[in-house]
Amino acid sequence: MSEQLYLCVHAAEFPAQALLRLRPEMQSQPVAVLEGRAPLEAICALNRHAERRGVVCGMTRLEAEAIAGLRLLPRSTESEAAARAVVRECAAYYSPRIEAASYGTACSYVLDIAGTGRLFGPPERLAERLRAALATAGFRVSIAVSANFHTARLKAANSRGVTVIPEGEEAAQLGKLPLAALALAPDQAETFAVWGIRTLGELAALPETDLITRLGQHASMWRALARGEQAHTFQPIEPEFALEEFCEFETPVEEMESLLFVGARMIDCLVARAASRALSLASLTLQMKLAEGRTHSGTIRPALASADRKFLLKLLQLEFAAHPPQAAVHSFNLSAEAGQSSTVQLGLFTPQTPEPSRLDVTIARLKAITGEDRVGSPVLEDSNRPGSFRMGQFVVSTNASTAKTDGPQMALRRMRPPVPVSVVMQGDRPRKFRDAERSFEITAAYGPWRTSGCWWSTDGWDADEWDVLATTRQETSIACLLMLDHARNAWQLVAFYD
Amino acid sequence: MSLAMTSSSALRIQIEHALERRFPSALTPVPRTIRETATTGIAAVDALLDGGLPVGAISEVVGQKSSGRTSLALSFLAHRTLEGQVAAWVDAGDAFDPESAAANGVSLRQLLWVRCRSASAAAKSRPWTRLDQAIRSTDLLLQAGGFAAIVLDIGDTAPEHASRIPLATWFRFRQAADRARCCLVVLGERAYAQSSAALVVECVPRQGMTAGETVLTGFSFEVRRERQRQLSNVQGIRKPPASMWSATCRWAQEERA
Repeated sequence: MSEQLYLCVHAAEFPAQALLRLRPEMQSQPVAVLEGRAPLEAICALNRHAERRGVVCGMTRLEAEAIAGLRLLPRSTESEAAARAVVRECAAYYSPRIEAASYGTACSYVLDIAGTGRLFGPPERLAERLRAALATAGFRVSIAVSANFHTARLKAANSRGVTVIPEGEEAAQLGKLPLAALALAPDQAETFAVWGIRTLGELAALPETDLITRLGQHASMWRALARGEQAHTFQPIEPEFALEEFCEFETPVEEMESLLFVGARMIDCLVARAASRALSLASLTLQMKLAEGRTHSGTIRPALASADRKFLLKLLQLEFAAHPPQAAVHSFNLSAEAGQSSTVQLGLFTPQTPEPSRLDVTIARLKAITGEDRVGSPVLEDSNRPGSFRMGQFVVSTNASTAKTDGPQMALRRMRPPVPVSVVMQGDRPRKFRDAERSFEITAAYGPWRTSGCWWSTDGWDADEWDVLATTRQETSIACLLMLDHARNAWQLVAFYD
Repeated sequence: MSLAMTSSSALRIQIEHALERRFPSALTPVPRTIRETATTGIAAVDALLDGGLPVGAISEVVGQKSSGRTSLALSFLAHRTLEGQVAAWVDAGDAFDPESAAANGVSLRQLLWVRCRSASAAAKSRPWTRLDQAIRSTDLLLQAGGFAAIVLDIGDTAPEHASRIPLATWFRFRQAADRARCCLVVLGERAYAQSSAALVVECVPRQGMTAGETVLTGFSFEVRRERQRQLSNVQGIRKPPASMWSATCRWAQEERA
C-alpha cells in the first residue's frame, strides 16, 4: 500500500466566488464577472444562478446585458488574492504541506495528507470538515482524495462534492472524465476528436508505443495521467501568514451602514483565521480608496488583543463615526495584526478597574462626543510655562500611586482661553479690574511674580502674575490669578483659586 | 411584663401574617445598611461626614468660586488614586488644572480627564452644549464601570442651566453609581440632584492666609453639611453641622519643606 495520500481542493469560478463571499445579499442572484478593457469586456466567471440563465464564459458585455436580472461585476485581482489567502489558511489547518495547482480562473490547492489519519480521522471525514470550513468562509469547493497527485487534481476539477478514490481505482474513476480535463492544445484535441477519443478512459486504453509514434513524447504523459499513474514531485509552498481582507465595490458607497455591513463580514473572516491559530486581533488597519483618487486610512488598536467580533465591530463603527471618509468609497481593505489572546489574572484584593475592552469602547464614544484630543490622562510637561501639559493616552494601571499628599493645597480653576480684563492701577499695584460682565474691587493683591521663558522662540512668554483677593458689588469674594502679558501688554484673568 | 411582651410579639406576628400577601414584613423595621465611605483626606471634613464621602452614591459639593470645592474634590481623588483605584474628571467648563491635581497628590496616570468643548467648536453633526457633553460622558463612564470616583465638574455652569438637568438623569446616575460602587461627586454652584444625592456639603470661603502681608500662603474654608442620608443614630444630631479646614499654596509647602 502506498504511503502517499493527496487531497485536492478546487474552487471553480473563483473570480465570482471571491467577489460574492463578502456580499451575501448577492449570492442568491445571477452574477457574472467581466474582465478586459471596455468595450471588449467578456465574462470570465459566473455563479450557478447565472449558469441556469444561459450565461457562459466568453460572452461579451453586450450579450450579457441582454439577459434580464443578471448582475455584472468587474474582476478584482485584489479580492482574489485575499480570497486565495483565506482558502490557503483553511487548508493549512489540516496539513502544512500544500502545493498550488491553480489554472485558468479556478483556485486549486493540493494537500499532502499522508499520516493525518490519527489527527483528523479517515480522509472522508477530513474532506468533509475542510469543505464545511470553506463553506463557512464563503466558498463552494469540490474535493478529491487519491494516492496519486494528478488523479486528485483532475477528479476535483471535474466533479462536485467530495470524492475519495481508493488506491488502484484511479483509472476507473478517471475513465469517464472528458478529454478536455487534460487541457490539451486545440490541434491535439482535434486529432483525438478525429480518432473518436472523447474520454480519459478511451485514451488510457490506447497502446502507448503507437501513441508516442503518432503524437510524440507528450502522449505518454497524457496516457499516464488518464490511467492515474503519472508521478509527481511535491513542491510545497510556504504561505506567509497575513490577515488581510479586500473588497472592491460595484458602485461607490457613501452610506456608513453599507461599509459596516461589509466590515462586519471582513472582521468575521479575520477573527476566524486568527482563531484557527489560537490568536486574536491586536490591531485593525483600514485603507479605503475614495472618489477623485483620494485615500482614507485609520487604525484601531484595542488595549488588549481581542477575538470578540461584536467588540471589534463596535470599534470600527466608532472609528467611522469619529473619522468618516470624506468621499464615496471605491474599495475597502482591512488588514489586521495578530496578537496573543489576552488573559488577565485578577486578584481578590486588587482594586476594581474598568474592563479593558469595554473601556476602549467607552473612550471611543467619549471622543465621539467631545473630540479626538479631549479625552485622556493629563501629562505634565517638563517646562516652567504656567499651565503647560499635554493629553496622553489613558491606560488602566493597578499599581498604587507613589505620589505623596502633604495635606490639601489650593487648586486652580483655569480659564481656557484666559479672559481679557481691564485693570485700574494704584501706584504699581492693581486696585480694580473688570471683565465683560462684572467689576471687582481688589482687597488684597500679592505680587508681582515674574515669569518668562523660551525668549529665543516664537512661543516664548513673559508675564507678571498677581494673586488677588477681590469682591464684587454683591459682596461676593473671590481669589483669582491675574496676569500681565508683557508681550501684548494686556491683562488677563487666568484662573480662580478654588 | 413578660406576658405583655409575649402577647404583643404574638400580635405583631399575627398581623404580619395576615398582611403578608400585600405587605411582606409590614411591622418589622427594615435593616439599616451601613454605607461604605471613602476618606476625603481632610480630617475635619471626614469627621463632619462620618468618615468621608459615601461610596456608590452621589455627593454634591456646592459653593461659589473660591470656596474650596475643587481643592476638596482633588484631595478626595488623591486618596482614591493612592489606593490604586482609577478615577475620572468630567470637566464641563474645561477648568481642570493638572498642576493643581498633581500638587494635591492625584496620580495623573490613573485619572481620565474628559474635556468638554463649546458647541461652536464641537463637531457640526453633534453640536451639543458643554453641559450635554458632560452629562452624556458621565453616563457612559458610570455605565462602563470600574471607576472608583467620577467628578462631574459643572462648577462654571450657570445654575439656571444646570437646574434643567432632568431629575430622571440624576436618578439614573444614582442607580448606576450604586451598581458600579462609584463615588459620583458633583461640583456645582448649587445642589441640583435633589433627592438622588446622598450627601450635600456646602463650601464657604473664610479668609486668606498670608506671610508678612506680601505672600498669599493659603485659605481657610468652612464646610457645612446640608444633607446626609443614613446618619448614624449614635452620633446623630449633636455633631456640629459645620467644620473648618484650610488649604495651603504650593509655594508655602515648599518653603516649609
